[in-house]
Amino acid sequence: MAVEVAPAPQAPPRTARGRGALALLALAAAVLGLRLIDPARTPWVANLLVVFGGLLIEAVPFVLLGALASAAIEVFVPSALLSRLGTLPPPLQLPAAALAGLAFPVCECGSVPVARRMATKGLSPAAAVTFMLAAPILNPVVLASTFVAYRGRDVLWTMVLGRAGLGLAVAVAVGWVVGAAAPTELLRPVPEGPRPLALGPPEPRWSRFAGHLAGDFVFMARFLVLGAAVAAVVQTFVPQDVVGKVADAPVVNLLAMMGLAGILSLCSESDAFVAASFVRFGPAAQLAFLVFGPMVDMKLGALYVGTYRRGFTRLVVLVAAAVTLVGTLWLEVFVG
Amino acid sequence: MPRLAQAVVLAAWGGLFWTLLATGRSSLYLSPRTAWVVPVGALLCSAAALARFATARAPRPERLPRREAWALVAVALPAVLVLALPPQTLSSYAASRRASFVRTGFSASPGEIASGTLTLLDVAAAQTSPEGERALASRAGETASFVGFVDRRPGTPADEFLLTRFVVTCCVADATIVQVRVVDVPPGRFAPDDWVRVTGRIYPLGREVILDASRIEPVEPPDRPYLTP
Repeated sequence: MAVEVAPAPQAPPRTARGRGALALLALAAAVLGLRLIDPARTPWVANLLVVFGGLLIEAVPFVLLGALASAAIEVFVPSALLSRLGTLPPPLQLPAAALAGLAFPVCECGSVPVARRMATKGLSPAAAVTFMLAAPILNPVVLASTFVAYRGRDVLWTMVLGRAGLGLAVAVAVGWVVGAAAPTELLRPVPEGPRPLALGPPEPRWSRFAGHLAGDFVFMARFLVLGAAVAAVVQTFVPQDVVGKVADAPVVNLLAMMGLAGILSLCSESDAFVAASFVRFGPAAQLAFLVFGPMVDMKLGALYVGTYRRGFTRLVVLVAAAVTLVGTLWLEVFVG
Repeated sequence: MPRLAQAVVLAAWGGLFWTLLATGRSSLYLSPRTAWVVPVGALLCSAAALARFATARAPRPERLPRREAWALVAVALPAVLVLALPPQTLSSYAASRRASFVRTGFSASPGEIASGTLTLLDVAAAQTSPEGERALASRAGETASFVGFVDRRPGTPADEFLLTRFVVTCCVADATIVQVRVVDVPPGRFAPDDWVRVTGRIYPLGREVILDASRIEPVEPPDRPYLTP
C-alpha cells in the first residue's frame, strides 16, 4: 500500500502570521477609509450596501447550516451508505434524489455544499445534482410559502402543484443530462482546509468536523459574497420596468421572468410573495419565475462556478431554461 | 494560523449577528417574518467560531496560501462593512428603480379593507384584485393618516408628492412599494426621503389613490421602516 508523504515543513508560521496581519490591516484600512468617506451618503451606494447586506444576512445562516450538514456527512456518514443508494434501479434514482429534498428544508445556498459533499462521498453526481436543484423547491417550507402567497387566488393549486411538479421535472432533466459523469469530471478540486506539512497522528473526529464546517463555510461564502455583490449592483442600476414592457408578449414574457428571477437572486422561501406581486404577468410567467429562480441566479451562478468544473453552469442554465420554458408554455396555452 | 483565521472570520459574522440582535438593526434588512435567521446565525456562527478556536492548535505546521488569505478577507469584509457603516435604509432612489407594474404580493379580504382603520397595507392589498379596489373605493372621502417618506418623480407638480413605504416579505431584495399621491402640499416644504405623517381625505381612482392633505407633519424615521404583510 502506497504511503502519501507530505512535504517537509518550510518555516510557515512566520509567513502565515505575516499574511494574517496583512489581512487584518487591510480590513482595518477599509473600515477607516469608509468611515472617513461615508460613501453611503450617495443614494446609489446606500441602496447597493443595503441590498448587498440584506442578501448576505439572510443567506449566511443557511450556508452555515448547509456546511454543518456537509461536515456531518463527511465525518459521520460512511461512504458505503451513499454508494449503496446508487444500487437503486436507474429510473428511480433521480426522482428519489429529488424527493429527498422534502426531508431537507434548506434553501438553494445550503443545498450546494450538501450536494458537493454527497458526490464526493459516493453518491452518483447525477443524483447529487438532482437533489441540489430540487431541494430548494420541493422542501416543505417553500411549498408552504407558495401556498400562503397565492391563498385566495384561483390559481392557488396551479401554482403550488405546478411549482412542485415542474421543479421536479427540471431537476431530474438536469440530472439525466449530467448522466454518468464521475465526481472528478464534475467537481472542481477544493482545498480541504489547512494543508498539513508533515505526517502525524490523525486528528480526532470532532476536530475534523470543526475543520470541515469552517472550511466549507469559508469556501461557499466567498462565492456567495461575489454573487450577492453582482445581484446588488444589478438591482441598483437596472430598472425593473424594462421587464414590464414584455408582459403581453408570448414566450418573451416567460424568458423575461426567468431572467428577472436570475437577477433578483431571491431566497426560494420568499420568492413566491414576489412572484405573486407581478400582477401584469400571467400564472405561467409567474411559475417560470418560481421554478427557474431557485436553480439559476447570480449568487448560485457564483457558487456553481466555484464548485463545479467549466461547462456545468452553462449546462444547468440551458437545460433548466429549456424544460421550464416548455412546461410553462404548456401552462400558458391551457391556463393563460 | 489558517485555523485561527477561519475562526476570526466566523467570529466576525457572529459579532454582526449579535449586534443586529442587540440593536434591532435587523429590521433595516429583514422583515419580522425572517428575523429568526439573526439569532440562528448568531448562535451558529458563534458555536462554529468557538469550535474552530478550540481546534486552532494544529498537530503539525500548516500554511495559509495567499489566495486563501484574500478569500478570508473577502468573506469577513461584508460583516465588517455592515458593522462599521452608519445604518441605512432603502430610499427614494430604490423606489425609482422598482417596477411600476409590480404590486405588493399579498391580499386582504374586501371586508378587511372596507372596515376598520385604513392603513397603507390596506391600500397595497386593494391593488391586487378588482374586489379589493372596489372595497377601497367604498371608503372614498374618509379621513386617513399614513406615515411614509417623500418621493418625487420627474414631472411631479410642486404641490404634490408620492407618500411611499416599502413592503418587505423576507429581505430588502424583495421589497415592493406602496404609494399614495398626496395633493395640496405646500410647495418647497418637503424634500425627497423626508419622513412625514399625512392626514387627509382619500380618493381611490382605480389603482391610484389620492390623499388630499389637510395636515402634514415631519416625523422621525420609524424603527421598522418597512411594512410587512
